[in-house]
Amino acid sequence: MKFRAKIIDVGCLNHFTRVVNTISKLTKTCILRLTPGNLYFVLSGKIASGGVSMWCELSQANFFDEYQLEGVAPEANEICLEVTPENLSRALRTAQNAKCVKIKLTKKHCPCLTFAAELPTLSSVSRVVTHDIPVDVIPRRLWHDFKEPSVPDFDVSIYLPPLKTMKNVVDRMKNLSNFLVIEANLNGEMNLKIETDLVSVTTHFKDLGNPPWGDDGSQGRSHSRDPELMAQTRVDIRKLQQFLMGQQVNPSKAMCNIVHKRIIHLILLHEDVSLQYFIPAVA
Amino acid sequence: MLLSTHSQTVDDNYVLVASLDNVRNLSNILKAITFKDHAIFNATPNGLKVTVEDSKCLQANAFIQAEIFQEFTIKEDSVGFQINLTVLLDCLTIFGGSTVAGVTTALRMCYNGYGYPLTLFLEEGGVVTVCKINTQEPEEPIDFEFCSTNVTNKVILQSESLKEAFSELDMTSEVLQITMSPSQPYFRLSTFGNSGNAHYDYPKDSDMMELFQCSKTQTNRYRMSLLKPSTKALALSCKVSVRTDSRGFLSLQYLVRNDDGQICFVEYYCCPDEEAEEEY
Amino acid sequence: HLPAMDCVVTGGNVKVLAKAIHSLSRIGDELYLEPEDDGLALRSVNSSRSAYACFLFSPLFFSRYTVPCGHAFRCKMAIKCVQAVFRSLSSLDKTVEKCHIELVGEKSRLTFTLHCKHGLMKTHNLSFQDSESLQAVFDKDSCSNVLRAQPRLLVDTVLHFPPALEEVSLSVSGERVLFRNYVEEEPAKAMLTELSLSSDEFEHFAVGAESSITFCLKELRGLLVFAESTGLPVSVHFDLPGSPVVLSVTDSVLEVNFVLATLSDDLNLRNHNNNPKRARSPPPADDFLNDDIDSYLIAMDTSELPGPSNAPAQRSNHRLEAQSPVANHRLESEEAEEEETGDTERPPNKKFRSLFFGSVCPTDSQLTNQTATSQEVLASDSEDDAQAASP
Repeated sequence: MKFRAKIIDVGCLNHFTRVVNTISKLTKTCILRLTPGNLYFVLSGKIASGGVSMWCELSQANFFDEYQLEGVAPEANEICLEVTPENLSRALRTAQNAKCVKIKLTKKHCPCLTFAAELPTLSSVSRVVTHDIPVDVIPRRLWHDFKEPSVPDFDVSIYLPPLKTMKNVVDRMKNLSNFLVIEANLNGEMNLKIETDLVSVTTHFKDLGNPPWGDDGSQGRSHSRDPELMAQTRVDIRKLQQFLMGQQVNPSKAMCNIVHKRIIHLILLHEDVSLQYFIPAVA
Repeated sequence: MLLSTHSQTVDDNYVLVASLDNVRNLSNILKAITFKDHAIFNATPNGLKVTVEDSKCLQANAFIQAEIFQEFTIKEDSVGFQINLTVLLDCLTIFGGSTVAGVTTALRMCYNGYGYPLTLFLEEGGVVTVCKINTQEPEEPIDFEFCSTNVTNKVILQSESLKEAFSELDMTSEVLQITMSPSQPYFRLSTFGNSGNAHYDYPKDSDMMELFQCSKTQTNRYRMSLLKPSTKALALSCKVSVRTDSRGFLSLQYLVRNDDGQICFVEYYCCPDEEAEEEY
Repeated sequence: HLPAMDCVVTGGNVKVLAKAIHSLSRIGDELYLEPEDDGLALRSVNSSRSAYACFLFSPLFFSRYTVPCGHAFRCKMAIKCVQAVFRSLSSLDKTVEKCHIELVGEKSRLTFTLHCKHGLMKTHNLSFQDSESLQAVFDKDSCSNVLRAQPRLLVDTVLHFPPALEEVSLSVSGERVLFRNYVEEEPAKAMLTELSLSSDEFEHFAVGAESSITFCLKELRGLLVFAESTGLPVSVHFDLPGSPVVLSVTDSVLEVNFVLATLSDDLNLRNHNNNPKRARSPPPADDFLNDDIDSYLIAMDTSELPGPSNAPAQRSNHRLEAQSPVANHRLESEEAEEEETGDTERPPNKKFRSLFFGSVCPTDSQLTNQTATSQEVLASDSEDDAQAASP
C-alpha cells in the first residue's frame, strides 16, 4: 500500500483545509477512503455516532497536483483508514501559507499520514514542518461497512433555505428545547418547530423550491401527493446544530430529503465536494 | 403585509399590540436587565415598563416609551403579565444576535389578556417566525420609595469612565462601597477582596463628571452580587446618574440610545447592605 | 513610616511592567518582589521548582526609584492579586499616565496607585508576606550552545504545536535547529510534529556540539508573551540534557531570565530513538522515502483480530518499550523535594531535575543535601545574577 500526494496551489490548499475543518466539526473520528479518483470521509450510522451517518466525496484532481496510490490489491485499488479529522485540521492549519504540502502514508511507530509543509522564510532555506498523524488501517473484510449510502425513499425533497439563517434559528431553538421538528411539502414550504411547556416557536420558510428527481422532473412516486401535505421528522436538535456549525462556505446546492418520521437526508453540493448527512428521527 | 396576515386570528381579541421595524430597539434594552429569569411587564398608554427584581433588595426597570414603537395600541389603562425573560430574549433574537448591515428584523407583539400567551411575530428577509410564550399573573413590583426630594448626593458621569472600573471590580469582595462627598475623595468606589482593598476615585472636576451635587459625605455598602449585573446596562448607556438618599438607598439611572438614536432609560434601585453597616 | 521602596513608572513602561507580571504568572502562583539598590527584581518559580523567571528592572526604568539603603526587604504575594491591578492590558498605555508603587514594610502593605486619564485614580492596597530571597543559581555564559532570534521566529515556531502540549525538544546540529513535541505516554496515539529551521534564521547561532534538550513549552510561551511585545531578541543558552536552559531578553533598563530545567539524558534519548532516521539530519530531499506497509496489512488480514480500532499484538514490536520508572534520574535534590509539604498534586514534569536555589539563609535540611556538584556551582559569585550580562 502506498499513498503520496502533493498540493502546490494555495487556493486548493485553503479549500482542502476548509473541507477538513468541516469534517472535524462533524465528527471526532471517521473513515478516510482513498481511491485513484476520489477521497471519501465516511461515518457509518452506528450507536457510537448517535445514528448519524456522513458521506463526503472529493474529486482528488481538484485539489492535488500530484496523487499516487497503490491500494491493498490490484483488484481492490484503494486504501481505507480510520482518522481523527481534528489532527488533519491542525496539521493543515499550520501549513496555511506553505509553498507546498506533501501528504503520504508512512510507517513510523504505527501507520501514519505524514504531512510535510515547506514554509516560506526570509532566508535562503525553507522551514519544514512535519506532522505524523497516527491512523488505523481498515482491513478489507470490513470495507462493506463504508460503502456509499443509497438515497432513501423519501416523501418530500426540498431545497434548504440559506444555511446561515437556518443556523441562527436552530442556535436559538436549542436554548429552548432538545428536540426539533423539521417538515416540508411539495409547495416549497419548510417549517422548523419546537414546542415545550413554556414556549412554542415555528419558523416558516417559503418559496424554497423542490428539486426535480426522476426522469420526468417531478418527484418520482410523489406524483399524486397533495402538495400541501407536510412530511415531518423529529430530530435531536444538537445533531442538526452540529451539522450547521460545520459549514464554512455556501454550497452551490443544498437540499433535504425527508422520510416521514424516519430520517432526514441532507445534501450539500459544492463545485468539487459533495457532503451527505443523515439524521435519524427520535421518538 | 406579512406579519398582519399571520396575526389575523389574534387581532380581534388583543388588549395590547406593539410593532417595531427593528426588534433590537427592544431586545438590546431588555438584555440590560436580564439577570433573573422572570420579568414583570407593565404596559400603559405611555409605553412599556419591564421590571426584574432580586431578593427584595434590587430592582431593575427598563422603559420603552410608546413613541419608540411604530405601532402601540392598548385597549386598557394598564396591562400586566409575568414572563420568562430569557425565553423572551431567545425569541426576540431568533434570527441571530449580531447586526448585519442593512438587515433588520421586524416585530409584532400581541397579547390577548390574562391567561393568554404572549404572541410574537418576527420577520426577516421574508422568513417569519411565530412564538407563543406562556405568561403568568404579575406580581406587584416593590416600591423603593425613592424620591428626588430625599436625594442627598447626586452625580452624573459619562458611562465610558465607569465602564472600565466596573469591569475591573474585584469580585472576591462581597460588597461595593460607594463614597460621595463634597470634599476628597468626591466620588469613590471601593472593594475589599482577598488580596486587599481597591479604590477608584473620580474627582469632581474630571471632564467625565457632568454634574456634581454632593451636600454631605456619605459612605454606603451594597452587595456586589446585586450590583454586578448593572454592568450590562452601563455598557449600553452613554450617561449614568448615581444618587443616594438619606437612607443610603442607591439609584442608578442609565441613558441608552437605541439603533435609531432614540433615548430610553434603564434604572436600578438597590438597598444598602444591612450587615455591613453594623460593622462599619 | 519610611517606605522600603517608593518608585514611579510612567508612560509606556507601565505596560511593560504589566506584561512582565503576566509573563511571571505563567511560571508560578506567587510573585517575589525584592527592591535593591541596583534595581527592582520580580521573580517567580513553579511548584516543582523546575522553572524560574526573573525580571530585573534597573533604576533607569523608573522615573523615580527610591530604596532606602540598608533595608534588605523581600516579600511575596499571590500573583493573581498583582495582575488584578493591571487589567485591560491592551488599553493600559492609553489610559494610565503613571503608576506609583510604594512598599511600607511595617504596615505589610504594597500600594499601587494608577493615575489615569480624566483624573481617575485607581489605588490598590495589597497585602504580602515576608519571604526569603529566591534566586536560581545558573551561569548562562558558560553554556556551550547559544542561539539568538527575533521573538517572531519563536512565536511562529510554537504556533505549530498544540496549546496543550507540555514539553518540547530542541535539537541543534550543524546548520539546523529542530523543534519536536515530546511524547511520554502512548506514543501510538499521539500526533508527532517537527519543525526544522535553518541556522540562517537566527541572529546568532553558536553551537558547540550536536545537542538535544527537552523542556516545558508552557514556560517558553510565558517568555514569548513578554518578548513579542518588546520586539527584543531572545537568547537561548543551553548545554547538555539535564542542565537548565536559560532564555534571556535584555535591554539597557531591563534584564529578563527564564531558567528552565531540562530532561536528563536517558529520558531525552528515548524520544529521539523513536525517530532514528530523522535525528540530526537535514530535511529529506524532494523524494519520498519508500514506506511500504504491506507487511503490516497482511498481518491484519490473516490474524483473528476484533476490529480496526484495537491495536494488534504485532504493533508492540515497533514501539520502544517505555523506560523503567525514573527514580534513578533524580538528583540529590530529591530528598529536599520530599521534605517539602506533602504535595500530592505534583505537575507532570516531576522527572525534571530540580534547580538549586541559593538561599540567603539556608535551612539545615538544605545544607545537608548540598553535594560536591552543587558546591561547585555555588562557588561562583552569586552577584553575577544581579548584574546585567553584556551581550
